[in-house]
Amino acid sequence: MKVSVIFPTKNREHHVKRAVRTAFKAKGVEEVIVVDGGSRDRTLEIAEREGARVIVQSDLVYPGKGVAMRDGAYLAEGDVLVYLDIDIRNMTPEFVEKLAEPIIRGEADFVKGCFERAAGRVTELVAKPLLRMFYPELARFKQPLSGEIAGLRKLFYMVEFERGWGVDVGLLIDLHKLGARIVERDIGYKDHDMKPLHALTDMAYEVAGAILRRAIRDRKTDPEWAERYLRGVRAIDLGLESGRGYA
Amino acid sequence: MRVLLIGGGHSAYFAANSIKEIDPDGKLIIIEFTSEKVEVLSKTFPFAEVVQQEIDGVESYIRSNASILDAVIAATESDSLNLRYCKAARENAIPLIIAILNNPMNKEIFLKEGVRYIINPYGIIPVELSEILGSATNIIYKIPSGSVMMASLKVENEDELRKLRRKLRGSDDVSALLVSTSGEIKSSIEEADMRGRLYLMGSEEKLKKILDSFRRRKK
Repeated sequence: MKVSVIFPTKNREHHVKRAVRTAFKAKGVEEVIVVDGGSRDRTLEIAEREGARVIVQSDLVYPGKGVAMRDGAYLAEGDVLVYLDIDIRNMTPEFVEKLAEPIIRGEADFVKGCFERAAGRVTELVAKPLLRMFYPELARFKQPLSGEIAGLRKLFYMVEFERGWGVDVGLLIDLHKLGARIVERDIGYKDHDMKPLHALTDMAYEVAGAILRRAIRDRKTDPEWAERYLRGVRAIDLGLESGRGYA
Repeated sequence: MRVLLIGGGHSAYFAANSIKEIDPDGKLIIIEFTSEKVEVLSKTFPFAEVVQQEIDGVESYIRSNASILDAVIAATESDSLNLRYCKAARENAIPLIIAILNNPMNKEIFLKEGVRYIINPYGIIPVELSEILGSATNIIYKIPSGSVMMASLKVENEDELRKLRRKLRGSDDVSALLVSTSGEIKSSIEEADMRGRLYLMGSEEKLKKILDSFRRRKK
């Protein structure tokens, strides 16, 4: 099975060379794709020089992680797609291999990566309670918002990508609903840049929105309740004043 | 003419209507991915044949129908898919391959893939802003096949006008039209006065030289 590694990115000229080179060293990797969110630095130029296929995401919305992930999936030619953050400082080929292996071995259709650290505030305060409420079978995932994932390419063509931060949890729910075999794999310690604190509130809102839209679609809640809940999420104190934030 | 239009979104809507106007007797085939959209498109464009294909099935559709297609227009909501389908059209020697971009920043990437006709729906934004905000120089339009373009220059003093007159005098490959601030149109540069906007159309090479020297003088 051919593996495509996809890096959604923006203004990451200092990380791109290492990330692309490392991804190419992983077993089965035939292409690396960098989907750019409109960088103003040399990210795309360096990616191309390192042999990655490049595209600028079709819609420069912020946050547009989901748009970038969708464009990456649509450009890819591999059978298995692996998504990774480009700013993982300790990235090794094993990161890719650990995520792709269960699929290559035929044991899973979709792999959710988790890593060594306590789950973040958006995960604990927003994603997990909502998943327990509406999709309890998915509450077993330690890090349902993890962006380190792998899956069969054809599966990604059967679901709708959320445009922003809700994309990871949205994919998890939709692929579960499609009947995909989903496993979680520990990829070890991940050393990367934290999201800025101000991004966490927006992220919480988008994650909640992604779960609630699906709960409404799947007739697990009524839209009025969902709307009230979303208003509540806007007001959640994620402890932004107290220290460094992570999802 | 047989045209294959891929995509059923915003860009494709305008493309489909234009194609109908350009070639009312031609054959238009529209490819969409979801059955719901196919149903809507069939009602919206009764003159077209609307076909449902999977994302991965479009390349083989192009391959199978290559001999009867005159043009392929990639107008999906993803530039990744547009790039893929343009590449498939090129590999199957479709005579006309047109990409309608979602993000103009992808233009160079498409050009590198050998896509010659690239429509950038956002191209009008800087052009119109330049005109409205009174930019000193503005490239208004370039013909897709190259070599001819239209540009405008904001003339502000007699010296500039004199130099432009000198450059354009005896030039067969550039036509000029001056629109004064009051909206009066003068077709000869010799009649032109100051504070108007000069519109030039002609050889791209020559016009670029004029624009460059004008910009240098402005600095």
